[in-house]
Amino acid sequence: MPEQFIAPSIDWFALSPYLVMVAGALGLLVVGALTPRWPRGLYSLVSALTATSAGVLAVFIWNDVAEMGPGTLVGGALSHDAFAQFVTIAVCAATALVALVTDAEVRGTVLEGPEIHALLLTAATGAMVMGASNDLIVLFLGLETLSLALYVLAASERTAAGQEAGMKYFILGGLASAVFLYGIALLYGGARSTNLGEIVARFQSTVALERNDSLVLAGLALLIVGLGFKVAAAPFHVWSPDVYQGAPTHVTAFMASVGKAAAFAAMLRVLVIALPFHRDDWRPVIWVLAIASLVIGSTLAVVQTDVKRMLAFSSVSHAGFLLVGVEAAGHRAGEQISGDGLESVLVYLALYSVLVVGTFSIVAVVSRHAGGSTDISVFAGLGRRRPVLALALTILLLAQAGVPLTSGFVAKWGVIQSAVAERSYAIAIIAMVSAVIAAFLYLRIMVSAWLADPSEVEPEPVPAMTGVAIALAAAVTLVVGVYPELLLGWTDAVSNFAR
Amino acid sequence: MELIVFVLASAMVLSGAIGVVLFRNPVHAALGLVLTLFGVAVHFVSMEAHFLAAVQVIVYAGAIVVLFLFVIMLLGVDRAEDLTIEPLKLQRPVAIVLGAGVTVLVAGAVVRGADTLGRETNASAPGDSNIRALARSLYSDHVLAFELTSVLLIVAVAGTVVLTRRLKKSEG
Amino acid sequence: MLDVIWLVPALPLVGFLAILLFGRRLGEPGAGYVAAAAVLGAFVVTVGAFFDLLSLDEHHREHVSVLFSWVPVSSLQIDMALLADPLSITMALFVTGIGFLIHLFAIGYMHGDPKFSKFFLYLNLFVLSMLMLVLGENLLVTFLGWEGVGACSYFLISFWHTRESAATAGKKAFVTNRIGDWGVMLAMFLGFQAVGSVSYSALNGAAESGALASSTATGIALLLFVGAAGKSAQLPLYLWLPDAMEGPTPVSALIHAATMVTAGVFLMTRMNPVIAASADYAPQIIAWVGALTALFAATIAVAQHDIKKVLAYSTVSQLGYMFLAVGTGAYVAAVFHMVTHAFFKALMFLGSGSVIHGMHHEQDMRRMGALRTVMPITAGTFIIGWLAIAGVPPFAGFWSKDEILLFTLASSPVLYVIGLVTAVLTAFYMTRQVVMVFFGEARWESHADDHGAHGEFRPHESPPIMLFPLVVLAGLSVVGGAIQLPSFGIIPDSWRHRLEDWLHPVVEPGEAVIKGTAAYDAKSWLALLAIACAVLGIAAAIAVYAKGRAKPFEPELLARGWRYDETVSAFMGGPGRRAFDAVARFDSGVVDGAVTGTASGVRSVAERLRRGQTGFVRNYSAVVVAGVLGVLIWFVIIRGVL
Repeated sequence: MPEQFIAPSIDWFALSPYLVMVAGALGLLVVGALTPRWPRGLYSLVSALTATSAGVLAVFIWNDVAEMGPGTLVGGALSHDAFAQFVTIAVCAATALVALVTDAEVRGTVLEGPEIHALLLTAATGAMVMGASNDLIVLFLGLETLSLALYVLAASERTAAGQEAGMKYFILGGLASAVFLYGIALLYGGARSTNLGEIVARFQSTVALERNDSLVLAGLALLIVGLGFKVAAAPFHVWSPDVYQGAPTHVTAFMASVGKAAAFAAMLRVLVIALPFHRDDWRPVIWVLAIASLVIGSTLAVVQTDVKRMLAFSSVSHAGFLLVGVEAAGHRAGEQISGDGLESVLVYLALYSVLVVGTFSIVAVVSRHAGGSTDISVFAGLGRRRPVLALALTILLLAQAGVPLTSGFVAKWGVIQSAVAERSYAIAIIAMVSAVIAAFLYLRIMVSAWLADPSEVEPEPVPAMTGVAIALAAAVTLVVGVYPELLLGWTDAVSNFAR
Repeated sequence: MELIVFVLASAMVLSGAIGVVLFRNPVHAALGLVLTLFGVAVHFVSMEAHFLAAVQVIVYAGAIVVLFLFVIMLLGVDRAEDLTIEPLKLQRPVAIVLGAGVTVLVAGAVVRGADTLGRETNASAPGDSNIRALARSLYSDHVLAFELTSVLLIVAVAGTVVLTRRLKKSEG
Repeated sequence: MLDVIWLVPALPLVGFLAILLFGRRLGEPGAGYVAAAAVLGAFVVTVGAFFDLLSLDEHHREHVSVLFSWVPVSSLQIDMALLADPLSITMALFVTGIGFLIHLFAIGYMHGDPKFSKFFLYLNLFVLSMLMLVLGENLLVTFLGWEGVGACSYFLISFWHTRESAATAGKKAFVTNRIGDWGVMLAMFLGFQAVGSVSYSALNGAAESGALASSTATGIALLLFVGAAGKSAQLPLYLWLPDAMEGPTPVSALIHAATMVTAGVFLMTRMNPVIAASADYAPQIIAWVGALTALFAATIAVAQHDIKKVLAYSTVSQLGYMFLAVGTGAYVAAVFHMVTHAFFKALMFLGSGSVIHGMHHEQDMRRMGALRTVMPITAGTFIIGWLAIAGVPPFAGFWSKDEILLFTLASSPVLYVIGLVTAVLTAFYMTRQVVMVFFGEARWESHADDHGAHGEFRPHESPPIMLFPLVVLAGLSVVGGAIQLPSFGIIPDSWRHRLEDWLHPVVEPGEAVIKGTAAYDAKSWLALLAIACAVLGIAAAIAVYAKGRAKPFEPELLARGWRYDETVSAFMGGPGRRAFDAVARFDSGVVDGAVTGTASGVRSVAERLRRGQTGFVRNYSAVVVAGVLGVLIWFVIIRGVL
């Protein structure tokens, strides 16, 4: 009695960004292995182009979504909504920028070749899947794809620090993944499904008082820990300073942009979209994580002397800001009018991804010239040696500090505004105080770059493609800062996501 | 009967896992891993998932651990790490307290929520229907996850190349 | 010219960009001329706009020009817009006017500095930011300028950053100003939350119509005041201003006397309907803070020896007067005093710059004296400034201070007494300064050896480009009071209260009405009393410092500013610093593991490294698992069981 097997319908066009990325990675690996070494920069260009075309495809898909409404793909495994496309576009943009920077960083080392770019592209695929996943198993696989690639990338440079960073990240990341997986198992036990849509439906139909939620709650706890680790929210941030500092700078840029964006997208998927009916359970935890991240990130950043370590802590404080937005989204998650929290987080992610890649690219250029040192002293006199580079650095750092007329201001305004709209005054005030403290750290770098006397007179060489990436990042930062409607008008549509 | 099998298999899994951590000799540790994987296979059998049990034994115990052993042999087995020195005095007690706490809490949650766990099982169906169900699930609901694991393999391949490439080759 | 009001900030922007791009090629003095020309252009446009506004009917003196809509998203409508109304044009007039004069002065003062063009780069950027601040149509644009002036101030204070003290001063300015900025940001969010807009017209409109709840208005007013106190150097945030004197003197004149520090007063005046709508204690707090700052800073100024420090504390004190005026509802008087203060304080700072220039960077007044003989023009103009600030009629400062005191008496006799005492002290310390610098015997000759490098040490008069601004400002300090003459018998009606009529549409909701009060009726007597106070102060100082009738009373406590600065530094350096360090140690010692904590140096480096690394990951995982436990406790026990 062989019953008919019905294969799930597959909308190939809707999957095209993923296919393009994977095809690009495979193409690079296969063609790269069969052909002699390509001319300089071509690997980077190909992977940047791959990422860009995936991003452009996502724009078209967004168009379709806007016309036909959200849905799911491949038997409910992936969401087909504006949210997913937005994350895809942000991830692709950051990946393309990182790919451009990577070229100069690996040129002349053993790493020069297609493999590193293949890793970047597959990692980005994992990130995109995380943002679009509609199933916890798919989410976990996306997370693992991203994480494994990041472990390897972190350890890719043959320096003691790089290897150490990779090892630490691997061990701690493994711990976090195990916790996350356990959380999925417990949640499955409580909800009897791993599909986000089915989870929502299940809790929608039962009355809160009658159900015994202890499995779901335990699972939720472990899921939050796993995601909190990936977004580097305090106290799960402990790995980030060492890993950010030890990993090669272009990899750090990738981690801070794509890694963070994907993890936050996954967090929104799990908490806001899948478990809105437990919002009163998880919101206070997010509140605590947000405040811990803000305070720890900004205060510890101030006492660092290594720029990469500073930026690691600053990225912890950015995670705190994003969590402020998640917290705001938690107030009315699952309701018809759900507030601006979710959009504000997405906007923040997109803008932060771009500007953090730009910042780390400049760090890469400068530290490379200084023999790998990323101490703040190597930035001394950058304004004298490379005024344009120093100007770009200033713009990007001002944006990180959230100064008006930069994209960082738009981002921070968004999350704080949404928090204030939900009457989360305490968290909004703490967020602003920590922004005030953190501003000092960015200023320290700027002052070193502009005012301190150079320890070095030779201007650092700026590789062409890195220069392009920095210029693009700075331009986006400024343009969005001056004309935020370019971006904000666009993200208004994001709230139409599948439930 | 079911309970006895469960307890025995779990004992295998746990003692194997503890052995992996505690054995000084890497070969012994790898053998501990085999014990754990066998224990998992027994669990599968007790749930009448015979196909999965077979795959578990063949792939993990057969292929993967053998590979581990090869590598360990190639690298030399005589290097044992000395773990008796503990630089931080507080670390162990803290680890024990934390571990116990997490275990108790998760176990407590599972016990409290036990009555909500579903008892639905269709594994009792005879013959190859088990494999059929697995295939159906794998190629319909979870086809994307299945394909994604292949992306994970690309990462593994590229990662291996990146991590193991010789330093000299940079000139070539 | 109202339609092209955008040119006002645009011209300094052009100057800024020109110097940014071609600064090195322009060199000295080209960059200075470019910068000065840009500011002059802005001044001319502002004057045009002023006459345009003047030709309009009183109730239509408001022109909004939207450059582009900045954040136009659904609930959030913020325009990058400029507002030209009597208040903003008044501010813009003296920002650009005095700014231009100070640019000219700086061309001479910065002569020979290796970073000549960079100085003018920052100066133009500052003028740009200041103009955005005053011309902004909403709080956000103002805030943009607010941040900008803060950053420029920081850069300019630490302009000579190789001096350790300059770098520290810059940091101090930055930190205190950030505390203030935080207040403004919160006020902005609160306002937005309550009204749904951050534009002044919407906020003030809501306050006037009563749509803004009194508690919200109080919150906004006090938070803005925190910002204003930071920017305008009021208690307890005044600390940075005296230290800011580390910057070049034209900077002190432009930023730390005439323009930036008055931004707080401007903001309070701009938001006067909100202050009027807030609870009674809000303006009282403002008035008291202002009065106490005025008195406090004046006492410190009495015992300073650095020529610029005296002026700095004097600025703090005069700003206190302005807040006293704001708190008592005398907005016109506040703006009036702001304008006259800008004239005479800029004059005196530039005068002190000229002295410092002529004395080869000597700033200690104990090494000066009798300079009137070698620097006659500087001395003459400085003396005019002195008479103005001391409150001698008919100089500008008399009229504005008198008006503030009049409103103060109508509000509270205690505040009035504080104001009068401050007036005596002001006259005293300024006279002391004039006497020590320009009169008496020449004490610089005895110190000539210290300047051996110069060969024969002889102070000299400054070049004409530095003297010209002094003369212009001196003229303004003489006649500046004419813009707001009180209604006294002999003054023609058409000359009276010009500024009040001009500002009337802006300050109407908040301005206190004192006609008919006892204080108003006695205003002639009050004026005489104020003059008597000024004369008393001057006479006392002459008796002490010129005639030597009494020993100077300059206690150590005052010279060190009531030890306030030291107390704060001791806290920040002691417990505060320790708290920061403790957090850092927790990170490096506990979280970062055994490397710094237990490695005692006996062990080999490799050993240490290995242990450190294992320590790292174990520690990290312990922290992560502790976090897991914490989250589980919340979810399983608190949410699940309880």
